[in-house]
Amino acid sequence: MRTSRLRAYARFLGASLAVNVQAVIEYRVNFLVQVFGMMLNNAAFALFWGVLIGKVGNLGGYGFSDVMLIWALVSTSFGLAHVVFGNVRSIGAIVQKGELDLYLLQPKDVLVNVLASRTVVSAWGDFLYGYIVLALIPGMDLSRLALFSLLSVSGAAIFAATFAAAESLCFFLGDASGISDAITEFLLSFSLYPETIFDKGMRWVFYTIIPSGFIAFLPLSILKSAAWLLVPAALGVAALYAAASYGFFRLGLRRYESGGQMGTRL
Amino acid sequence: MPAISVVNLGKSFRTKVRPEGLSSSLSSLFRPSYRDIEAVRGVSFEVEEGEVVAFLGPNGAGKSTTIKMLTGILRPSSGKALVLGLDPSRRRAELARSIGAVFGQRSQLWFHLPPSDSFRLLGAVYEIEPKDLARRRAELVERFGIGDYMDVPVRKLSLGERIRCEIAASLLHDPRVLFLDEPTIGLDLVVKREVRALLAEIAKRDGTTVFITSHDVGDIERICKRAIIIHHGSVVVDESMKELRHRSLSRKYIGVKYASPVDLDFGAIRPVKRTETAASYVVDTNEHRLEGLLRALVGRGELEDLTVEDEALEDIIARIYKAPKAGEAQ
Repeated sequence: MRTSRLRAYARFLGASLAVNVQAVIEYRVNFLVQVFGMMLNNAAFALFWGVLIGKVGNLGGYGFSDVMLIWALVSTSFGLAHVVFGNVRSIGAIVQKGELDLYLLQPKDVLVNVLASRTVVSAWGDFLYGYIVLALIPGMDLSRLALFSLLSVSGAAIFAATFAAAESLCFFLGDASGISDAITEFLLSFSLYPETIFDKGMRWVFYTIIPSGFIAFLPLSILKSAAWLLVPAALGVAALYAAASYGFFRLGLRRYESGGQMGTRL
Repeated sequence: MPAISVVNLGKSFRTKVRPEGLSSSLSSLFRPSYRDIEAVRGVSFEVEEGEVVAFLGPNGAGKSTTIKMLTGILRPSSGKALVLGLDPSRRRAELARSIGAVFGQRSQLWFHLPPSDSFRLLGAVYEIEPKDLARRRAELVERFGIGDYMDVPVRKLSLGERIRCEIAASLLHDPRVLFLDEPTIGLDLVVKREVRALLAEIAKRDGTTVFITSHDVGDIERICKRAIIIHHGSVVVDESMKELRHRSLSRKYIGVKYASPVDLDFGAIRPVKRTETAASYVVDTNEHRLEGLLRALVGRGELEDLTVEDEALEDIIARIYKAPKAGEAQ
């Protein structure tokens, strides 16, 4: 019974992704511009870091390749979260417009259904960018590629869980877009800088509400030391975040009030 | 077991009271006050399997809120609803496999993709085996005559073409109960007729229970056998279409036209509209004898035209809508 349910969800997620990709490829030029534009945008930061570290030397013990590995991990994780769960930062808007109705009418888990019903075009650029950077850093082999991919899956799950929880605040606060945007900014910004430059006293934040530690810093050390044994722990932490976020969404869903606005599925 | 059973269903929403003026707004930041609005109260009815029921009411009467509680979108504040024996608020996903819904103002088809892609995804959503999906799809494409649109992006379809695809999509998983909220809104007359014919056929051929809300009386007259009218959040009428029409039998609309000007006043019976040579009257046959009036009309001058009609269903419903809230003075 359990396996058949899992198979049904796998088929659903596969079909959703296929439909979402078809929908964005409908506008081919837009798709290509956004994907390559995002990769170029990320590459500009690599240049900035290259110049900075070239001038001041290592930063808090992080060399250029460390910073690039962090960028690769964060970029691919962030990209993956938005490629598969494209609506993860739109939950608030969907709830406020009463568009959750459509998903509630279908026999699938509401949160999974909402998240999976869109893909973000530029996120494909983020997703690919991480792999390109990884390929350019010396020491690349199949084992490292596999480890990187697994850590990106756990990172993507933590990104998605944090964003989904932040967006679910809308059930309780009405418009929570400001708070959600701030959490997004914090999480991305803190994840992209070496952990050691931050004050020790505030590092606990990175392992709780702004989980940059689990998205960037810990995966970086696992990747650098090829600590495969820690991978299950990383995935376990991701599962915990996902479960907590799911619970928070369900709690909010009880307060859903729908709405009468007209809408279409894009 | 009835397909839908509703007992004392109620739903209230809590809304913040927004005071006027800047200072009151500022103080409400710290001490907000709330008010409960009862959208639906004490609604009870039953719908048997295979019945085609119109669920009517003026804007804001609580129709959509009720449908949303029956489909598991909203949780009732009080009372109980069972659809196909399941409580929609507790067993939403399980119920969703057996019900279909078309909300005229919302689309479940992907706007940028052809319906065929949406159908494939819906197949995965409802866990329909690929072979069954292909068979069911072919059947619906033929019945709804949508073969030519299946590979055209939805954004390029007309509203009429889209709604046909929309209804076909809602039937893909062969639901036992179909909820329709304003399915013909914005459609032209020809498409409206086509959609009504399709809905009537679904109910008749497949025995699907159809629960429909609409402001278009034509939808109700042609498809439904029974009407439930809800007003101010409560059921005010629940009877067969036949009974509803009988409400009008004592009211007759009489139109008359003469070749030359005549006196058109008949004491207690005054025309509701008149020119020098024509007039129309609304007569309650419980108060006035129709025969006497007709004789008098014929005797007044050289008749060019005379019509006697029952009150239109639209007017009957409008009268019910205008009735004051229980407990309020007329």
